[in-house]
Amino acid sequence: MPVRKHGQHMKLFKNKGKDETTLRRQRVEVSIELRKAKKDEQILKRRNISIHVKEENPLGQDGAYEIIQPSLEEIVEAVNGDNTELQLLATQATRKLLSRHKDPPINQIIELGIIPRMVEFLGRADNAALQFEAAWALTNIASGTSEHTRAVVEGGAIPAFISLLSSPHMHISEQSVWALGNIAGDGPIYRDALIARGVIPPLLALVSPATPVGFLRNITWTLSNLCRNKNPCPPLDAVKKILPVLIFLLQHEDKEVISDCCWAVSYLTDSCNDRIQVVVDTGILPRLVELMDNPDVNVVTPALRAVGNVVTGTDQQTQEAIDAGVLTVLPRLLRHTKPVIQKEAAWTLSNIAAGPCQQIQQIITCGLLPPLVELLNKGDFKAQKEAVWVVANFMTGGTVDQVVELVRSGVLKPLLNLLLAKDSKTILTILETISKLFLAAEKLGETEKLCLLIEELDGLEKIEDLQNHENDMVYRAALEIIEKYFSGEENTDLEPQTGQDGLYDFSVEKQDFNF
Amino acid sequence: MELSDANLQTLTEYLKKTLDPDPAIRRPAEKFLESVEGSQNYPLLLLTLLEKSQENVIKVCASVTFKNYIKRNWRIVEDEPNKICESDRIAIKANIVPLMLSSPEQIQKQLSDAISIIGREDFPQKWPDLLTEMVNRFQSGDFHVINGVLRTAHSLFKRYRHEFKSNELWTEIKLVLDAFALPLTNLFKATIELCSTHANDASALKVLFSSLILIAKLFYSLNFQDLPEFFEDNMETWMTNFHSLLTLDNKLLQTDDEEEAGLLELLKSQICDNAALYAQKYDEEFQPYLPRFVTAIWNLLVTTGQEVKYDLLVSNAIQFLASVCERPHYKHLFEDQNTLTSICEKVIVPNMEFRAADEEAFEDNSEEYIRRDLEGSDIDTRRRAACDLVRGLCKFFEGPVTGIFSGYVNSMLQEYAKNPSVNWKHKDAAIYLVTSLASKAQTQKHGITQANELVNLTEFFVNHIQPDLKSATVNEFPVLKADGIKYIMIFRNQVPKEQLLVSIPLLINHLQAESVVVHTYAAHALERLFTMRGTNNATLITAAEMAPFVEVLLTNLFKALTLPGSSENEYIMKAIMRSFSLLQESIIPYIPSVITQLTQKLLAVSKNPSKPHFNHYMFESICLSIRITCKANPEAVGSFEEALFLVFTEILQNDVQEFIPYVFQVMSLLLEMHKNEIPSSYMALFPHLLQPVLWERTGNIPPLVRLLQAYLERGASTIASAAADKIPGLLGVFQKLIASKANDHQGFYLLNSIIEHMPPESVDQYRKQIFILLFQRLQNSKTTKFIKSFLVFINLYCVRYGALALQEIFDGIQPKMFGMVLEKIIIPEIQKVSGQVEKKICAVGITKILTECPPMMDTEYTKLWIPLLQALIGLFELPEDDTIPDEEHFIDIEDTPGYQTAFSQLAFAGKKEHDPVGQMVNNPRIHLAQSLHKLSTACPGRVLSMLSTSLNAEALQYLQGYLQAASVSLL
Repeated sequence: MPVRKHGQHMKLFKNKGKDETTLRRQRVEVSIELRKAKKDEQILKRRNISIHVKEENPLGQDGAYEIIQPSLEEIVEAVNGDNTELQLLATQATRKLLSRHKDPPINQIIELGIIPRMVEFLGRADNAALQFEAAWALTNIASGTSEHTRAVVEGGAIPAFISLLSSPHMHISEQSVWALGNIAGDGPIYRDALIARGVIPPLLALVSPATPVGFLRNITWTLSNLCRNKNPCPPLDAVKKILPVLIFLLQHEDKEVISDCCWAVSYLTDSCNDRIQVVVDTGILPRLVELMDNPDVNVVTPALRAVGNVVTGTDQQTQEAIDAGVLTVLPRLLRHTKPVIQKEAAWTLSNIAAGPCQQIQQIITCGLLPPLVELLNKGDFKAQKEAVWVVANFMTGGTVDQVVELVRSGVLKPLLNLLLAKDSKTILTILETISKLFLAAEKLGETEKLCLLIEELDGLEKIEDLQNHENDMVYRAALEIIEKYFSGEENTDLEPQTGQDGLYDFSVEKQDFNF
Repeated sequence: MELSDANLQTLTEYLKKTLDPDPAIRRPAEKFLESVEGSQNYPLLLLTLLEKSQENVIKVCASVTFKNYIKRNWRIVEDEPNKICESDRIAIKANIVPLMLSSPEQIQKQLSDAISIIGREDFPQKWPDLLTEMVNRFQSGDFHVINGVLRTAHSLFKRYRHEFKSNELWTEIKLVLDAFALPLTNLFKATIELCSTHANDASALKVLFSSLILIAKLFYSLNFQDLPEFFEDNMETWMTNFHSLLTLDNKLLQTDDEEEAGLLELLKSQICDNAALYAQKYDEEFQPYLPRFVTAIWNLLVTTGQEVKYDLLVSNAIQFLASVCERPHYKHLFEDQNTLTSICEKVIVPNMEFRAADEEAFEDNSEEYIRRDLEGSDIDTRRRAACDLVRGLCKFFEGPVTGIFSGYVNSMLQEYAKNPSVNWKHKDAAIYLVTSLASKAQTQKHGITQANELVNLTEFFVNHIQPDLKSATVNEFPVLKADGIKYIMIFRNQVPKEQLLVSIPLLINHLQAESVVVHTYAAHALERLFTMRGTNNATLITAAEMAPFVEVLLTNLFKALTLPGSSENEYIMKAIMRSFSLLQESIIPYIPSVITQLTQKLLAVSKNPSKPHFNHYMFESICLSIRITCKANPEAVGSFEEALFLVFTEILQNDVQEFIPYVFQVMSLLLEMHKNEIPSSYMALFPHLLQPVLWERTGNIPPLVRLLQAYLERGASTIASAAADKIPGLLGVFQKLIASKANDHQGFYLLNSIIEHMPPESVDQYRKQIFILLFQRLQNSKTTKFIKSFLVFINLYCVRYGALALQEIFDGIQPKMFGMVLEKIIIPEIQKVSGQVEKKICAVGITKILTECPPMMDTEYTKLWIPLLQALIGLFELPEDDTIPDEEHFIDIEDTPGYQTAFSQLAFAGKKEHDPVGQMVNNPRIHLAQSLHKLSTACPGRVLSMLSTSLNAEALQYLQGYLQAASVSLL
């Protein structure tokens, strides 16, 4: 436990008042979102509108029915009737309606009341074609809203689909995987219902080196939905069963499989420290870190998220991520062309900066300061906000030497510029960070130098201006800095002063002495 | 109160009386209204009146009374009674919106305010239909109604611009967006269409543009926290329309007023803000629109006039360009040489020109002008915005921009040369341009700290600045003189010293200028030059170099104080202080005249002190006169006392609160100048200084403690012999101070001086009581600061009276007290002591306890011997423990020494640090080693065996180091 070794001493002399657990910021649980649903998130439910399945359709006569599309009444009649042939034709017609590109009539189909009958068809082992069409239709119904999914589940589809996983016909078992994925994606209740019904063993049994890649993609996606969602998080024994398979799939060469695997891991790590530990214990981190460096942004996004979640955990868990090399990859991600990657990378770094000063030292050693300063300087605003947190945590937890190093790297100029940001929280965080910096400067007897530096970088007038800010906390924080450090007259004019170079020339001898 | 005509009548009567100029009628009416406002139906009566009263004045009065009533009473405070009954609340909410919308504007504004106060508490949960009610009115087609709705919405939503993100806030915003965004968008489109339908109808346009302004403001509020899905989907609509509004002009909307911004300007200003918001926060989504806005805003700038009414618009627009041009991915929008040239020519240069309004301020409002120009409170001015744009452009295009401007500077200077008296403004602009181009970083203290290397500052100085200042007439072209002086001031670190030396007599000469700005700048420039550092940390400009100018400098400085408008000019007074400090003994010949002028000034301003900075520097100057003179001639102190005491007495007698702390400081300084016994004049004052009324004022405490310390240092024996009856009073002051968490350290300062200087027998009878007081404070409300001071004090006591005396007095108060203090206070807390001298006192005191206190060797206290030694070694070797419990944080901040309200410490009245153990002990580590050696000689073997059995190994190692350094060993 190298991280904690100096705990006692640190408490006394360096990290006073600092409590790492409060600095770490979990992925914020946004129950309210003003933005458009994020394009970089994984899809929760999917409708099967693909045509390539047609080729596998044993009937192979799709074309014919497009001309004679039965009416909804005819469908109900046929589905409820006894004629197997008509049942198949009606089910297929239903599936086609549900597979059309625009506005599938899901509500109308549900209102027909034919779902229980369709579920019955899933059990018709004698009629593979009928099973398949029913499975497809139900998949697409389940891909809709929660209401729609519930209609399928309440029709009794869960056990039927689970037993179809072991169907001798691969296209049927694949369609079932898909349907189950949609049901699991609805939320923790159905997810756990599936798990309780024993979905995991037959699902995992489908994974083998011989499984075709398309099928594997479906399985991986469904697995990821089984790992997804919180409140509560998925049962521990289920997670323990799934993880080894995820690790196996992470070695696959297909980008989509890898991407969904990473999403699955990111859901598992978006949780309490105990759950993070379960993931870390599998030894998966080095592979995840490797994938963070992947050229495909669809892989980078979830891999970065997964690792980012791990470093919200304990110091030890964070250390494991550092040992796996996360700090060597982050500089590239901080400079990534996509703003959301910059943002996630900065968020990850902010949580590492919330750690003990040994970890902060590694941030310095791995060369994270220059990209951090660049990001603060010209990153996208979302990323800049996270970068501000990095600086805030760093200043709180870093030793005086480390803080000096951070200031030397040029962080102050862009940090002060962000006092113009149109976001009260960011402004407040910066002001608090400046106060902390002043405390460090006081210890070094460099308060006056810091005052000059802040003025020179046009920070003073910005802080002065913030004394008029509408937000009460912002105004108070600004006022406090001005009153404490900038309102005194220059009585010390004739005392020793600073050099002309304008550089922040800190130096201090640190003593480590422990009785 | 019933809703009856009788009550309406009564209320009308009283409302009318509240407007009466005679307080005898007004006050009782106000009282009456206050007394009935808790009654049910009171607010409804007011609403009825403001709607139905026959008299307009009553309507208005009722609406104002109603709004104030809502402001005071609507909020339900926990644990306090609900001040408005529920049925009234419901009725108000049901009626207020239609009432507001049907009222004339004057009343509408009051009701709109009331709605937003209610909304802040009740919206959305307890007022769910407010939004629908408002949105429905959009369809009314009546823009008087619509503007009422928009204004109310604005006052409800504008807090989204500054509040922190929270689930609660975002839930509300989402709700608002769902109900409001689409209708607002439709209204926006409809209003724009109406604007073109009514393009020729001035009065219709005015109403419509008022709506557009409010809509644009609402857009800003609703988009502030994050980019809402709706607005992302409808960005095309909004941005296209915003863009075309930016380019719109209509003669009917142009106003004749030169000062007040018109509707068109206000709308465009808000649109610039909206675009800047998107550019800063939602760059990814806004990128496709940004270039269009850059062009539009740039065109806008090119076509906007110089009138003051456009200032906000122009400065917003320039700031937008400045923020965009710094971003790497928009660099290309500015890169083209032609673009750069026209931005420089058409945007920057015109906005740097000295306008009529500036000229007016220069002449008639010099204080404001100086504040803006010198102290940088010019954030919203055009010049400043233009200057920021120059700096932004220089980030990527320093070379080209410098090149383009050099051409302009030259042509403007040529214009000036052709006919200075007509074209002097061209030169002003040229100087401003050079300044903004050359300065990259700046502080008040050092002027420009980073300059553009492509600009030859010295050459410009010699060719264009000095000639103006050398001109024989100091009052010609005052603006140019001020520009030139400012140039010296801010580029003082870039211009070579010999040029500065040439400038000094010129600056001194300009102290005589009539223009307040010019002579103020001259004083300020001199003051700044005198604070510059040369090699070896000495001042750059030496007293020797100033020798030829001493007399004229002092004469002109004091004369400047007699110029109209400058009788309390802080820049001049500061320059006087700085000159004294630089010139030192060369001012002595002038002191008699100087001190007369200063005391006259002091007497004059003490009638009504109004300029704190001026006053502060005046006292600093007095202190400097005293120090410099008395250093050379200690006897001179008498003549200062003679000159000053008369004024001081007056200040004390008239209780001029602002000056009393200063007077005490000057008196301390004077008293300390006396080498022998304390003069009787001071002794006569001594009892007055102990008056409680003086000590009630926090600002007096530090200087008074300081003064009493001076008394004790110089006259302890006199006090003991001639004023022994005042000792309890003196200790009473100590007790008063020690009782306060904020002032206890001052109490210790005083106590330390008493212990150090008073003859022991004179305080003997009080000693036990002193400790009991301290122990009580320790028991009841100890703070880190108190403990630190306490530790220093008991160790000082130990040094002065001996360790045994300390043990005896403690144990005399309560058995085993000494052990308890050692164990619970000294050993665990000694690490917290800060300050070189303080640490040294503690080290010597503890050494005495260890080595000169027999009970430490042969009673139960022996077990504390090693822990105490270890704590002492820790004090020597460990870093200071500066942890402070959270709850104490506040106290500590307040007590950091230095600038405090009501107390301004004078730097030049400063006290030298005093080390009471200085003569006794030089190196406390060696002193410890020697003392231990002495102890071990007295009882051989004991010390060594204690050390070897229980001293921590690292501490032992340090201790061995001390012994070696002292060349002693233990027996």
